[in-house]
Amino acid sequence: MNRYLKLVNMEIHRFRYILASLMVVTLLSQCGSLIWTIQRVVSAKEKGLTQAEVGFAIPKFLSFPWAIVNTKVWFILPILLSITVLVLYSMIIWYRDWFGRSTFIYRLLMLPSARWVLYVSKLTAILTFVFSMIAFQLVLLVGENMLFKTIVPAGMRTDSTFVEASTIIPVLDTLLPKQFEQFIYSYGLGIIGVIVIFTAVLLERSYRRLGILYAIGYSAACVGVILSPFILGLDRSNSYWYPSEIYTMELAACLLISVISVCLGFWLLRKKITV
Amino acid sequence: MMNEGWTSVVFNNRDPVYLQVVRHFKEQIATGRLKAGQVIPSRRELGALLKINPNTAQKAYKEMEEQRLIITEGNSPSRITEEAAILRAIRSELIESAVESFVVSVRRIDVPVDELLDLVRTKYVEERARTNQAEEGGSIHD
Amino acid sequence: MIEVIDVHKRFRGRKVLNGVSFTAEKGQITCLIGINGAGKSTILKAIMGLTPLKSGMIRIDDAPVGPAMYEKVAFVPDHLTTPTGMRLSEGIQFMKDFYRNWNDVRANELLAFFKLDRTERVGNLSKGMAAKYSLLLGLSQDTDYILMDEPFSGIDMFSREIIAEVFSTDLIEDRGVLLTTHEIDDMEHLIDQAVLLQNGSVQLAFDCEEMRTTEGKSVIDVMREVYTG
Repeated sequence: MNRYLKLVNMEIHRFRYILASLMVVTLLSQCGSLIWTIQRVVSAKEKGLTQAEVGFAIPKFLSFPWAIVNTKVWFILPILLSITVLVLYSMIIWYRDWFGRSTFIYRLLMLPSARWVLYVSKLTAILTFVFSMIAFQLVLLVGENMLFKTIVPAGMRTDSTFVEASTIIPVLDTLLPKQFEQFIYSYGLGIIGVIVIFTAVLLERSYRRLGILYAIGYSAACVGVILSPFILGLDRSNSYWYPSEIYTMELAACLLISVISVCLGFWLLRKKITV
Repeated sequence: MMNEGWTSVVFNNRDPVYLQVVRHFKEQIATGRLKAGQVIPSRRELGALLKINPNTAQKAYKEMEEQRLIITEGNSPSRITEEAAILRAIRSELIESAVESFVVSVRRIDVPVDELLDLVRTKYVEERARTNQAEEGGSIHD
Repeated sequence: MIEVIDVHKRFRGRKVLNGVSFTAEKGQITCLIGINGAGKSTILKAIMGLTPLKSGMIRIDDAPVGPAMYEKVAFVPDHLTTPTGMRLSEGIQFMKDFYRNWNDVRANELLAFFKLDRTERVGNLSKGMAAKYSLLLGLSQDTDYILMDEPFSGIDMFSREIIAEVFSTDLIEDRGVLLTTHEIDDMEHLIDQAVLLQNGSVQLAFDCEEMRTTEGKSVIDVMREVYTG
């Protein structure tokens, strides 16, 4: 346990600058575009300009969700960037130990503890990064709401709830689910995704050139299995299966993929990995 | 002080290293650099001084103990023997073996003994004068 | 005793190891000699469980390769294995955190002996310094065996001399040392056993002093016979 926590700590330590950069980029991009969007409308309203004169829509009252929607691209872009970086890092977190002047993988594989601890610690690190970013986005939304209220005079705005703001664009809606069930689905699938990526990377690291084919084949098979209940007709009302049955199948498929991927990953680390 | 005469040892690769170490000790004894009863470096120190592995140093010490060149009593450090007969034998052994190999190589040329002895005498005196000078010159710089 | 028994390995269709067998005893310095590509590094990696084998067996003191052996055998590869962003002291702390056999007193002695600066970043080390740091990490583990891959290769003369000095000290004594090299010159007098490797198998294994005593041949003489004869 102690060694596991030390490994997790080390992985987080190695990623700290990139994680901090992502947070700074998100902060600057979202707040900057928010201020610009609101300021533009507020000053137009104060000067009594019309929609035709300024060339953009001027609503009667401003609300926080409205502000988010109107800064759309600059609001979403840093989120998408963060997601991309984290997905890529799910692979790099392994590859960085093999390449470069120092091959840390030698040391990691020679630690006198079971090798699956490496796998679990890297997985924990990735999840920590994801939830750190989510938590940061939540705090940031609260801050941005306060910023909105500071800039927009009370007479020009209507109040909104936090849920209204966080559901107004699809990306936020997915990342910040309102129901616990939805949360489990989103992040459960996300975790399965990371596990499949890990196993694909380990396949490549174990069998090298042939491993690339194995990795692609394995990933495709996993996607296929996950999607198979849908293909059976979850979205068709005239399907042979009841929705509840398909739901159970989907759950079983997810469970199967997770267990197989984790076991395969552990086995590769123990028996087949090569430095 | 211990370093004197140790770091300059050059080994050849064809004779067993431990025997070369033993030979080096004999030379040091014959020339008086190592005195009867003098404490010698531990095998660990010797390994470091001569840059050989501790196993080889151990083997050399074992050989020297067998030849009664050195004495190790209990836990105290090893010393050069004080038996005069053994010490004398070392000197003659070294001279004999050197002369033997000289004779073997010179025999092929078939020189008359007197001519050879004359030549040896001149060369030997010259060489000794030269090396003595070099040593004195060296010690001035120290 | 480290036993390598009839080990086979293929890499990209080539037989890298083709039935390698030899042993390395505790308290002896055993040297695996062979030209580049003879499979020396692969053997060390296989002993450490860092690469799978096609067939054959490796046993250390009668036990198969596994996590427990990493407290018993240390490995010094020919390159760094500490993240370049770490400071030397952080790399040492990492070892201390994970190995029960870590000897911190010795690590400090070696830092001083090698003249390494503990606040330096690993990525800034010169080749010679990096080799010394790797050696420090290996030697500071109190293990029965230590494996070294080309400890003298590609580093400056003075670093070589300092590293050679390690071999004649108690840092090595009583351990089993297995090292690889493609050029023997620096090490003729340092090694006890030589294992000559060619085309993925052992051509000859011998005791160096015995070879000198019985046949009057240096290790290089024997190598010349085996590799060119």
